[in-house]
Amino acid sequence: MAPIMQVVFDALSLGSLYALGALGIALIFGVMRLVNFAHGDVIAFCVFALLWPSVDAVAIIFAGNLPWFLLIPFTLAVGAGLSVLSEVVVFRRFRRANPATMMIASFALGFVIRYFLLMLFSSRPKSISLLPGLSQPVELLGARIPLLQLITILVTIAVLIGLTAFLRRTRFGLEMRAAAENFTMARMLGVRANRVIMGAFALSGALAAAIALILGSQTGTANIMMGASVMLMAFIATVIGGMGSLAGAVIAGFALGAIATVMQVILPPDARAFRDAFVYGAVILVLIFRPQGLLAARGTKERV
Amino acid sequence: MSLVSLSNVSVRYGRLTAVRGVTFTLAEGEILFITGPNGAGKSSLLRAIAGVTPPAGGRIDFADHDITGRAPEDIARLGLSMVPEGRDVFGSLTIEENLMVGTGMHARERSWKARAANELEAVYATFPILKERRHTQAGLLSGGQQQMLVIGRALMTNPRLVAIDEPSLGLAPNITDQVYERLITLRAERRLTLLIVEQSSTRAMMVGGRMMLMRGGEILLDGDARALGQSEAMQAAYFGYGEH
Amino acid sequence: MARPSMLRRTIATPLILSALLVAFALVAWLAGSRPFNQTVIDIFLQVIFVVGLYTFVGNSGVISFGHIAFACLGGYVAAWTTIKPMMKGVSMPGLPDWLMQLEIPFWAAAVAGGGFAAFWALVFGAVLMRLSGIAASIATFAMLAMVNSIYSNWTSVTAATSSVVGIPIVRTVWPYLIAAIIVVFIAWAFAISRYGLALRAARDEPTAAAASGVDIPRVRLIAFVISGAIMGAGGALYAHSIGLVTPDTFYLGLTFTTLSMLVVGGIGSLSGAVLGVLILSSLIQGLRWLEAGVQVGASTIALPGGVQEIALGAVMILILMFRPAGIMGNSELTGRIARTEKPGEPGEN
Repeated sequence: MAPIMQVVFDALSLGSLYALGALGIALIFGVMRLVNFAHGDVIAFCVFALLWPSVDAVAIIFAGNLPWFLLIPFTLAVGAGLSVLSEVVVFRRFRRANPATMMIASFALGFVIRYFLLMLFSSRPKSISLLPGLSQPVELLGARIPLLQLITILVTIAVLIGLTAFLRRTRFGLEMRAAAENFTMARMLGVRANRVIMGAFALSGALAAAIALILGSQTGTANIMMGASVMLMAFIATVIGGMGSLAGAVIAGFALGAIATVMQVILPPDARAFRDAFVYGAVILVLIFRPQGLLAARGTKERV
Repeated sequence: MSLVSLSNVSVRYGRLTAVRGVTFTLAEGEILFITGPNGAGKSSLLRAIAGVTPPAGGRIDFADHDITGRAPEDIARLGLSMVPEGRDVFGSLTIEENLMVGTGMHARERSWKARAANELEAVYATFPILKERRHTQAGLLSGGQQQMLVIGRALMTNPRLVAIDEPSLGLAPNITDQVYERLITLRAERRLTLLIVEQSSTRAMMVGGRMMLMRGGEILLDGDARALGQSEAMQAAYFGYGEH
Repeated sequence: MARPSMLRRTIATPLILSALLVAFALVAWLAGSRPFNQTVIDIFLQVIFVVGLYTFVGNSGVISFGHIAFACLGGYVAAWTTIKPMMKGVSMPGLPDWLMQLEIPFWAAAVAGGGFAAFWALVFGAVLMRLSGIAASIATFAMLAMVNSIYSNWTSVTAATSSVVGIPIVRTVWPYLIAAIIVVFIAWAFAISRYGLALRAARDEPTAAAASGVDIPRVRLIAFVISGAIMGAGGALYAHSIGLVTPDTFYLGLTFTTLSMLVVGGIGSLSGAVLGVLILSSLIQGLRWLEAGVQVGASTIALPGGVQEIALGAVMILILMFRPAGIMGNSELTGRIARTEKPGEPGEN
């Protein structure tokens, strides 16, 4: 019994990360058809924002020493701020560009952010201890899991509930959902394009910051490449979830987490290192049969 | 006093010119039908007025503002409500949510919530079926109900001009009758100005008002709908190349 | 079909580009300096990669983030087939016996690398080409990550993330020049072939091309395989230029450089691909020089590391903002003065 619960918790916490990432990608794709390749680098930036710039191997924790009730809002604000800044400085000028052009621009922006971090911190991974005390194990349903894993799952559920409430109950959420479905029509009803898009970027950046906090505490390292693998899984989740469908992205994120965890268990030990490769392969196979994604939503066709 | 005035407006998509130097004015309270065959540039003209496709040349004025090249949301906020072709409902939103999307433009004003609630009741009074299914996802509605929804949605912000692209497209004739009946009543009640694009002149002749005929991106005829509809000139201009 | 006239009309482009490359090689040869020689070799390799990417992206209009994966496949083929058997036994003990004993010349390794990459391009492409533009782009990115993840973990065959050393180094510029010229001609020949024309028609007018009976996924697949082969051969030559391979040699960094050169030059133009390499390589060299430090009076001023990539990214974003079709747009160098300057002459098309 216990091992199964262990697997369930592993799957849920990994899926949580992917789901949060996929949400951040899908939110922006929904309102402006941008596949944001800079998302992973926003995640890395948020972790490094807690450190003092230095190219030494030892990290100088700076903002990371804040008590948690200040640390969390600070990180979320950094993520949202950087994300909004990237929209104002870069993406705003690509509103009329085609999706491929925007995608390459975001890829370039991601590199700029990553090498900015490299310039300040060097490319060596640094060990950090963020929110210590979260790594101690707790007993739950017969499984011994790290407290952090539990918190990850709970935080993700809270974020999902909060975001759902925001989208369903507030005026801004209503405008955002309308804009995600048909941006031009929403504008013709007086919905302000800039406000909605900046809101989407802010939310997406805050989600990236949440991932940064979880990843930073989980791995205990800060690495300029740390967002890349989550971002890739998040991309895949948004494709499977039907490009731009928020619910689809979340479900697909959790599904990917489950597949990866199950692979980790059932693959022979020699093959475990290739877990991610197997997951990518499985996804590509899925796409043969459902090129529009498994959960393609109505009205989210690519805009031309 | 004219509500809308276009002078020498043209619209281009890449190398293709859809509208060539169109000039006209529309007075407050007037009803104007723009008719013409497929590809005449009617929809492009409407999209230019609404700010969706900025005009390549010319000037558009609406409610004493120069709106040439302004963003669609700014134009909407001046009181121009556009109902584009193809019944663009937000399929995953409920009917009520669809109706409420536009009301945010008055959020700065006092008691806008109460006014929005009033408007909502007014729309529901006009289209009772929408009230009945208020919590249904708009994507699940029939074509006629969707058409009522988009017209209702356009009215929610108490606009001065409603521009509708092909309200009868894909609707059964009796549903079209209902839709028009409601439009005419609303116009009388609110002193609305209506700009309606239709492919055929039949409706215009039934409803009456002013009618323009577009072809090849230009306005060929402009006059009273009933008089123009029966004239030889209309037939000749519309069918130009003798199809049908 | 007006094939011969098409050939005559466009042959100037690969000839001019080849002449440009030959000029670079001659300068390197005359200069006779080691570092400069290496720089010119890097430029030729980059020409191969960017032209390889152009062959797919330029003709199909589908952005690929995954082509460097094929360079990785080719690079490791060079390692498998050219390192001395004894050394292979130590670093990659899991290789099958016949491969372990194999020791072929570098040019044969390049051909083998191209073939191996082409095979996998066929396998991956058969799936990817069914996806729509954006989803296909993301899937190519997943393919890159997948190949990187396999090569970073398959210890017995790829030595995982450690460097595989002992690949015979080829230091003269000529083989790289010849390879770059061959690649330019392949890309040109494909672009004016029936398939290339059909693909570009489909890129510009998808609906019309589909209606005219062009099997878009199939033609895209052909382009994908050819460009995969070019990348594979380029990867093998890259391995021979530095003498070692690691999975991260062929990952995001090289993807970014290659894509930025194509974007700056012009995604839809072969001339743009080559010019993009030449222009950005000069920029990169200049920045590397500044990063290394410049003597100003008594003090050395050096830019911090990373400035090079940041500048590259900024150039790329600015080009996309103000000239999204790149420097060349969709046009090619033809050696003729643009028509607009001679209004009296009748147009060619």
